[in-house]
Amino acid sequence: MAREECKALLDALNKVTACYHHLVLTIGGSADSQNLREELQRTRQKAQELAAATGAPLTTALRDKGLRAEERAEFERLWVAFSGCLDLLEADMRRALALGAAFPLRAPRRPLVRTGVAGGAAGVAARALSARALRHEAERHFDADDLRELERDILQVGTMIYDLEMKVNVPRWTVQARQAAGAELLTGAGASSAGLVSVEERTGPCDPSKALAATVFGAVLLAAVALAVCVAKLS
Amino acid sequence: MTIRHQGQQYRPRMAFLQKIEALVKDMQSPETGVRMQNQKILVTSIPHAMTGSDVLQWLVQRLWISSLEAQNLGNFIVKYGYIYPLQDPKNLTLKPDGSLYRFQTPYFWPTQQWPAEDTDYAIYLTKRNIKKKGVLEEHEKENYDFLNKKINYKWDFVIMQAKEQYRTGKERNKADRYALDCQEKAYWLVHRSPPGMNNVLDYGLDRVTNPNEVQVNQIMYYQQALMRSTVKSSVSLGGIVKYSEQFSSNDAIMSGCLPSNPWITDDTQFWDLNAKLVEVPTKMRVERWAINFSELIRDPKGRQSFQYFLKKEFSGENLGFWEACEDLKYGDQSKVKEKAEEIYKLFLAPGARRWINIDGKTMDITVKGLRHPHRYVLDAAQTHIYMLMKKDSYARYLKSPIYKEMLAKAIEPQETTKRSSSLPFMRRHLRSSPSPVILRQLEEEAKAREAANTVDITQVMSKLDRRSQLKRELPPK
Repeated sequence: MAREECKALLDALNKVTACYHHLVLTIGGSADSQNLREELQRTRQKAQELAAATGAPLTTALRDKGLRAEERAEFERLWVAFSGCLDLLEADMRRALALGAAFPLRAPRRPLVRTGVAGGAAGVAARALSARALRHEAERHFDADDLRELERDILQVGTMIYDLEMKVNVPRWTVQARQAAGAELLTGAGASSAGLVSVEERTGPCDPSKALAATVFGAVLLAAVALAVCVAKLS
Repeated sequence: MTIRHQGQQYRPRMAFLQKIEALVKDMQSPETGVRMQNQKILVTSIPHAMTGSDVLQWLVQRLWISSLEAQNLGNFIVKYGYIYPLQDPKNLTLKPDGSLYRFQTPYFWPTQQWPAEDTDYAIYLTKRNIKKKGVLEEHEKENYDFLNKKINYKWDFVIMQAKEQYRTGKERNKADRYALDCQEKAYWLVHRSPPGMNNVLDYGLDRVTNPNEVQVNQIMYYQQALMRSTVKSSVSLGGIVKYSEQFSSNDAIMSGCLPSNPWITDDTQFWDLNAKLVEVPTKMRVERWAINFSELIRDPKGRQSFQYFLKKEFSGENLGFWEACEDLKYGDQSKVKEKAEEIYKLFLAPGARRWINIDGKTMDITVKGLRHPHRYVLDAAQTHIYMLMKKDSYARYLKSPIYKEMLAKAIEPQETTKRSSSLPFMRRHLRSSPSPVILRQLEEEAKAREAANTVDITQVMSKLDRRSQLKRELPPK
């Protein structure tokens, strides 16, 4: 059905946007390199393809006059999420352009900011492109051409957003979110982060000591109870 | 679609941010920059940490400033989010001891002036909610609920994106993840500061125009203003002094009024004596007409007297035309077309009943303009007639017997003392003056009668001409 197809495409676009955002965060920092720029470009291209692919069925669905009310509401919800993704993507692309221009890889006099992030983002890019691993195959003057392409891409995305808005009229105030506040806690997304939590929080190292104290106290209590019983038995 | 703010890019008071950025970029150099060390967290070691004292020392050496200044500057750098503290995140000052700091990633630098959007903040709070399993700080919870209400329509997107970003973050190794989390936390501490912390990014109102940009039309305007001919202030001030001296005796506030100020003595004689078209005007009023022509024209009684004089001189049509022009300018604009046509028929057309004598060029301009009549279409002709009256008739009027008689007849009211109006028997009955509507109607009727009765020289001459023509035609019969 059209709705499932749109939802699947939207999820894919969402994933790629999140990956792109993650990659743009590290531009100009110590993790910046030729590889990063290349990954950015690939992710960006994938995002644009997905955006175009998602936009088409959504537009046709919403322009269909014979749609029932609840189906229309569904599609409007998807539309709002889609436009949110596009906005985020465009904003990130603009920032990537500005940062890429401010921190060119060629100039030796402008070293990159030492932010403490050292590792590569190959895993992120692979996730975005749904590929197993990523091979880096870029030429030397990659980033200068890339910036020009990026400018053109930004304009393209801008016109795409404008066209979509002109074709479909979705009043934002009528759309109600299906998920309430705090819905993100209900799924298992946060379950596997226990290990990480203990690293970052200062209360992390305290928890084992608290557990230790609890067991010691329990042991002492048991001993006291046992002694009291013995005393009672003896007397 | 997000709303793009038009005028919010010009924040010149934040120009120092670019200077800090240049300094921070300088700190990066591996040879001349700040000394780096590793931060140890349990088993992981994250590079690129520096101590506060190292940073201060670098500032002192690089900029040749005292340590007090360096401390101040260092505080700024931390406050605005270029460097964030690792051990005490909420205290944004540069401590001159061994506490560790790290550089913020350029994406999060405030120099770029990218607004910290609500949507981004919502995504961040949702991510934090997931990570901390619902245990957020007080203000974070409040903000979360508030944003949920504010951008409710986007909430599905927010949750979707937050989950995805969270999962994506796990693709990195542990040390990177930790550093990135610290970075984001520091960014939001600066841009959405919790209550109790100073909101450093509050800089007042945004400007609509960019003050650093060269405004070409403004420059042109000022250059033209310089070229305009100006009056010397000594000349204009002299003019004001002369005017004040001349008119101070007429000013009711400066030199009192005769017979008495009605507001004080409840005696309305002053207003009765100075009514618009009173039979016998006061001496002060008549003397005022001699000061200059505009005084005469402005006073209705003066106009009446002047009209009488002009009729005697057979140039009454001038003042009539002037009054008609004033009516066109200040009167009912919906009747502009009809009024203009009437004026043309009466004053300007060749052979008109009250034809005014203006030169050919002005007549040409006026006739051309009358095709598309508007308020000021008769301005040129009116100015011409005004100047004619001023330069020619006015001088003769002041010497004429009409004016001299008016002056002789003018009364000088006696000053009345403040009468005590407290006695009920002596209280005068105060009648209200006639309604302005009725007054205006009377005026209009009087004007219509005048217009009907005016016989100007041209009409008389044309009648005489025709009569003599007929006489000439008759005898040959």
